[in-house]
Amino acid sequence: MQAWQVFVVEDNPEMQDFFAGCIARAPELGLAGCAGTVADANAWLEAHACNANVLLVDLGLPDGSGLDVIRMAIARNPACEVLVISMFGDEDNVLASIEAGALGYIHKDATPDDIAESILAMRRGESPISPMIARRLLANYRLAPEPPAEPSEPPEITAAAMLSPKEHEVLSLIARGFSYGEIARIQALSVHTVQSHIKKIYSKLAVHSKNEAVFEATRMGLLAGKN
Amino acid sequence: MWGVRISRWLRQMQGWGLTLCLLWGAAASAHAGLVLAQARMTLAAKSGAVTVDLPYLWDKSHAGVSGVAEFVFEFDMPTLAPEPYGIYAAKMANGYEVWLNGKRIEKFGELQGPPREDSKLPRVIALGYALQQGRNELRILLRGDAGRQGGLSPLLVDTMPQVQEAHMDVWFWRVPARQGVVIFSALVAIMGLALWLTQLNPQAVPGLRRDRLYLYMGLAEMCWVFRVADSIIEAPPLPVAWWSVLSSLALGGWACLTTLFCMELVRWNQARWARALRVWLALLCLGGLFAATAAWVYVHPMALTIWYGLLGLTFLMFCGAFCWRSMVRLKDLGGSLFGLAMAVNVAVGLLDLYLLRIHPSVTGSSTLYFSSLLFGVAASVVVLMRFRTATTQAAHLQANLAQQVAQKEQELRQTYSRMAELAHSEARSAERTRILRDMHDGVGMHLSVALRQLQSGQAQPGEVAGLLQEGLDQLKLSIDALHLPPGDITALLANLRYRLEPRLKASGIDLQWQVEVLDTVERLDDKTMRHVLFMVYEAVSNVLQHARATELRIKAVQTTAGIRISLTDNGTGFDVQAPLRKGLLSMRERAAAIGAELSFQSEPGQTVVAILIP
Repeated sequence: MQAWQVFVVEDNPEMQDFFAGCIARAPELGLAGCAGTVADANAWLEAHACNANVLLVDLGLPDGSGLDVIRMAIARNPACEVLVISMFGDEDNVLASIEAGALGYIHKDATPDDIAESILAMRRGESPISPMIARRLLANYRLAPEPPAEPSEPPEITAAAMLSPKEHEVLSLIARGFSYGEIARIQALSVHTVQSHIKKIYSKLAVHSKNEAVFEATRMGLLAGKN
Repeated sequence: MWGVRISRWLRQMQGWGLTLCLLWGAAASAHAGLVLAQARMTLAAKSGAVTVDLPYLWDKSHAGVSGVAEFVFEFDMPTLAPEPYGIYAAKMANGYEVWLNGKRIEKFGELQGPPREDSKLPRVIALGYALQQGRNELRILLRGDAGRQGGLSPLLVDTMPQVQEAHMDVWFWRVPARQGVVIFSALVAIMGLALWLTQLNPQAVPGLRRDRLYLYMGLAEMCWVFRVADSIIEAPPLPVAWWSVLSSLALGGWACLTTLFCMELVRWNQARWARALRVWLALLCLGGLFAATAAWVYVHPMALTIWYGLLGLTFLMFCGAFCWRSMVRLKDLGGSLFGLAMAVNVAVGLLDLYLLRIHPSVTGSSTLYFSSLLFGVAASVVVLMRFRTATTQAAHLQANLAQQVAQKEQELRQTYSRMAELAHSEARSAERTRILRDMHDGVGMHLSVALRQLQSGQAQPGEVAGLLQEGLDQLKLSIDALHLPPGDITALLANLRYRLEPRLKASGIDLQWQVEVLDTVERLDDKTMRHVLFMVYEAVSNVLQHARATELRIKAVQTTAGIRISLTDNGTGFDVQAPLRKGLLSMRERAAAIGAELSFQSEPGQTVVAILIP
């Protein structure tokens, strides 16, 4: 199996070296490149986006937000999977990253093995999610069977914004602090299924945020047309 | 408009004057009609006829006495037109019988007994075809009441159209013109009373809410309506005696109320002498009642004439003061107009007094009736000006009010934003204090201990890493505490587990997670949530660091007493009676701070730490 190419965007040189080292040590992974600023990262993606399977990106960059790099990478290479480097995994940043298209995040204080493992886990289709994020998602997104509150809302957006009952159940258990293994036991599922639910939720959110932007634009366009 | 009316009025005055000249003029007029200006008069009380010249004024010849006189005219009609004839007399009062050639032609009132009516208007007596060619004898029996302007004017004997024409000129000013005055005055009176009834000043003290100005205006005009109407009513509904007293009172009332109106108008109503003047006016009205009654009872008009004189004098003086005040001091348009009207009326009134009572003439007619119209006009102007002022004031007030409201709103907004800022900065400062304390006790302490160990040169890498890891964990928990939903213990525990998961995994402890869906505890704010978070953290941390346990059960249940969180481990346990370690001490402090119950049960192999949050 060909090694996964990881593109690292991190402004702190020591951390950059650390991540590069972690990746280099893992036989399944390869280092595609490194960048320390949004400008450098975008320039690299401009030329080599297709070469990167994974983007490992810090949000706080000296010349802007890592969110822009995420959008650029996904626009250039939709197959590229994004992991965000977060110091604290705090909700606001994580939610914004997920909506920009990230599939997970790793903590800066994780051990070198954990970092490689997180990237490989994502490759296997796993996505980590914290109870706080789960709780926020439950509050922000509706359960599917509920009728949409606003009938005029375009149906595809409503569908994307909804969670299936199973996804809702999984998220609720995560919000109560249960591990994937415990959830699999409680729900009589395989751990793999639980993880695929989580990943589905992630991609729904990314689509939802995109659709919301399109919807907003359409609505404003319609308004402008009326005027 | 006014100019046109005044010139028409003057023209008519001129025409009237011409008619009078005609009637009083020599018989050698070019007119075909016959003017009888001389008669043989016999008094009923005496015998013997005397020749008298007309006009014959009863009060002038028989002051204080009532009686009946017989006037006999003998005249020749050389030719007679084939038309009905008539007689016109400017005055034939107070009651009469007209006989022509021994035949009674007309009767007005009774010749004997108490008077019931008054012949106040010029008369036309239709003779039909009763005139004879040649000699005719006209006999008029005339009743004269003392002090009631009885008398007989020269007579015009002519064909009916000619008589009617002569009559019309005088009659117009006596009847329709005065009716016009009555209607106008009544309208002004209604307007005044309506304004008095409807215009309320809600800010004034009760009892003074209505503007008396309007009341005086309405009542004064009502009096005037009565007075003018009286001059055209020949058969009053009351006995003539009482009626004439009322008429005098109406004149007095009109004058006094007009004065009160003027006082309100130029704000004299608060002056020191205003009270004295009011008393004087009341006395004047009362005096009018007596004078009119006396004039009737003693059959002498002198008292009434003196009263009219007093009234006139009062107004002459008041008018002077009023004009000075309104025109010179206040320079008020309405007031000045009123002053002008009053000056004209006082002048006309004094002239009337002279012409009607002091030196009466047969055709004397009060001009006051018409000059009084000026009062009505001036009063209307006053009302209009007042409304204009009020409207302007209201508009100003509204603009002011809007401005004031906007200003107050702005101030309110500023105060609100200042207060919001203050509250915000207070909250920020409290938050800062809390975070600093956490940093000091948690991260700061762990960092400094790690640093000291490194500096001592005897640092165990594992120990230093552990200290730093714990410091970092506490830092993460501090940050999480900023986001914890208030009152949601489930989220709190879930998050703690998530944060400690790597350490739990590394320690090899088997964690049993038994967290129910818990109710949100409303009373827990973010500060209390922080205490709960660190209490549980401390308990887990103790197990990880000291208990050497292999199993840890974290359970959270909803009980009737509140939420019960318990941590049970199978480690070595500790002596719950011994002085508490720093970690346990801080748990106690936190429990006390939020009113939670904290209990420890420990024996080797089973240690339970329970927190009950009511």
